[in-house]
Amino acid sequence: MSKKQVLNGNHAAAIGALLAKPDVVAAYPITPQTPLVEYFSQYVADGVMDSTIVEPESEHSAMSVLTGASLAGARTFTATSSQGLSLMFEPYFRASTMRLPIVMNIVNREMISPQTVWGGPQDSLTVRDAGWLQIYVEDNQEILDMNIQAFKIAEHKDVLLPINICYDGFYLSHMTEGVEVPDQEDVANFIPPYKPTHVKLDPETPMAVDPLTPGDYLQYYRELHMEAMDNAKKVIKEVNDEFAAKFGRDYFGLVEPYKMEDAEYVLVTLGSLTGSARIAVDLAREKGVKVGLVKIRCLRPFPKDEIVELLRDRKAIGVIDRNVSFGWHTGIVYQEIKSATSTLEAVPTIPFVGGLGGEDLTTDLMSEAIEKVLEVADNGSIENKAYWLINTKGR
Amino acid sequence: MKLAERMSSYEDMVGPGITACSGCNVELSMRTALQILGPNTIVAVPPGCMGGVQSVGWADKTGMKIPVFFPLLDNTASMLSGIKKYYERIGRDVNVVAFAGDGASVDAGFQALSGAAERGDNIIYICYDNEGYMNTGFQRSSSTSLGSWTSTTPVGDASHGKSSHKKDMPMIMAMHDIAYMATASPAYMPDLIRKIEKAKTIKDGLVYIHIYNSCTTGWGYPSEKSIDIVRKGVKSRFMPIYEVDHGKFKLNVDIKDPIPLMDYLSSMKKYKHLSEQQIEELQKYVDDKWKNLKTLCEVMG
Repeated sequence: MSKKQVLNGNHAAAIGALLAKPDVVAAYPITPQTPLVEYFSQYVADGVMDSTIVEPESEHSAMSVLTGASLAGARTFTATSSQGLSLMFEPYFRASTMRLPIVMNIVNREMISPQTVWGGPQDSLTVRDAGWLQIYVEDNQEILDMNIQAFKIAEHKDVLLPINICYDGFYLSHMTEGVEVPDQEDVANFIPPYKPTHVKLDPETPMAVDPLTPGDYLQYYRELHMEAMDNAKKVIKEVNDEFAAKFGRDYFGLVEPYKMEDAEYVLVTLGSLTGSARIAVDLAREKGVKVGLVKIRCLRPFPKDEIVELLRDRKAIGVIDRNVSFGWHTGIVYQEIKSATSTLEAVPTIPFVGGLGGEDLTTDLMSEAIEKVLEVADNGSIENKAYWLINTKGR
Repeated sequence: MKLAERMSSYEDMVGPGITACSGCNVELSMRTALQILGPNTIVAVPPGCMGGVQSVGWADKTGMKIPVFFPLLDNTASMLSGIKKYYERIGRDVNVVAFAGDGASVDAGFQALSGAAERGDNIIYICYDNEGYMNTGFQRSSSTSLGSWTSTTPVGDASHGKSSHKKDMPMIMAMHDIAYMATASPAYMPDLIRKIEKAKTIKDGLVYIHIYNSCTTGWGYPSEKSIDIVRKGVKSRFMPIYEVDHGKFKLNVDIKDPIPLMDYLSSMKKYKHLSEQQIEELQKYVDDKWKNLKTLCEVMG
């Protein structure tokens, strides 16, 4: 029997991973991920979890320990944030190119400078091309559920790639919500055991892993890696549907459309800011504005076909980015959306940026974004430069 | 069984025809160590000479009979910790081994190694110390000795080789209170073999073995002198051969009458520019280190 608990996001992630029974866990504490590591340590201390915990001296080593454990055949789990992620970038990239299905939560936090600890997905979005699957979630239930699905997706024979479950620091990591916690046995039946043969260090079946490799082989590996990314789209949807059938919660796979059937205007969102955007959409609808919302869940692989279908024949689009792409003067998700919709007849698309460094993206700001989208649809003029959603100016 | 009989009973785990330089005593050390460690071994060879000579393999061919992999330059010990922890978890006793150069151990990989030592992870970490980044043309490492020419501590009117002493890595590892620390030399093979055999039996913590190697091309001496050079290193007390077994210090090769340090220094090109003052500094370093070691062996023996 599942049970309802009041959980913060870190607790939800820890319980999700606990239910998936990883063999080896290695994590180095960093705000705002720290409580997640503490929950795990306590589970092991209390004897409710039999994972092997390694306490590394850095995030670089956390990822390296899991790389070794995964190469030996272990199911592995970790979590980090911002500076921790950037410290582990070297083994991070390598975990994907070695095709190791490590599950890592990224508790999204701004990148310094200036010194900051608050939420925002600048960290994980900056490493979006490192070959990992990246799923961005909206609330604590989704954190828990995706930590269960993550192992099944990553370890699938047609995928075999590491996966990030990304959730906003503090907004989700430290805020409590009611969360349905599934039964351990149901989860065990949902996730098959991990038995790797594609890459394994075992004296009984000796294998050289990563000998010096010339470019013709490397290109072939990259081709296979990109195919696995494509396969992941299908697998994520299948796992989503199977999960929905078994546990009763459907996240719509790669993207979640909200009030999109008749929508003329669209907001595109990612992460926890989707919540206030949904409310703004509802408020606009009450005034008769046909606005809808597309929540991107899967950023890697990027759901370009789904995006094209959802954004076809709309009057104007606004992309809300809680991050920046230096040099483009927009957010990162905006770039992704523009690339995906390049085959469509041009629709005015506004790059909104706001909520950086843990600033609130309020319903009022989301309503302002919708108004701006309507305005652009009318006059067709678009600056192709960030439109800032800000409460107060920090200067 | 006698040593020679024992060694001939062990199979060579390294593929034939790897591309090490002629006279390389690192290849000899690696073959010997892995011969003793045997088929129930997983070995990490990070970037460095032994990785460069294709002991890990090339394209789709392996360089060894045992599972072998390239860790990153700076995460060898952590990757091995992960492997070992999983094998311990499933109840299989496997030798999990690093064969890493000084760059991957004393410099970039030091933090990971220190972490694994502090945790007491049961891995066997062998460092082959040839005092620099040799496979890329001899850049300095923190294991390069004072005065040594390297391509990044060149000799010119305004500079005279490396300006600081080498990091005392064996002592640093001993001070981590690991299960077993030993230094070894390819010029003292029976001692090296015994230490690798001993490493295999240690199950209660980290093993660190520091092999004093040399490099014919980088250091500048004829390839047939590879063993002579490192023997001179030991006989001049520059490369002290000792072990620390669960905190107990023991000098394994006592050098009662050392040869003049100059006999060692003058036998290669990397020191040929040394000034009187540098030679004096090196002599003092060697004397002080030897005195400290003797004291530790007496007090903590």
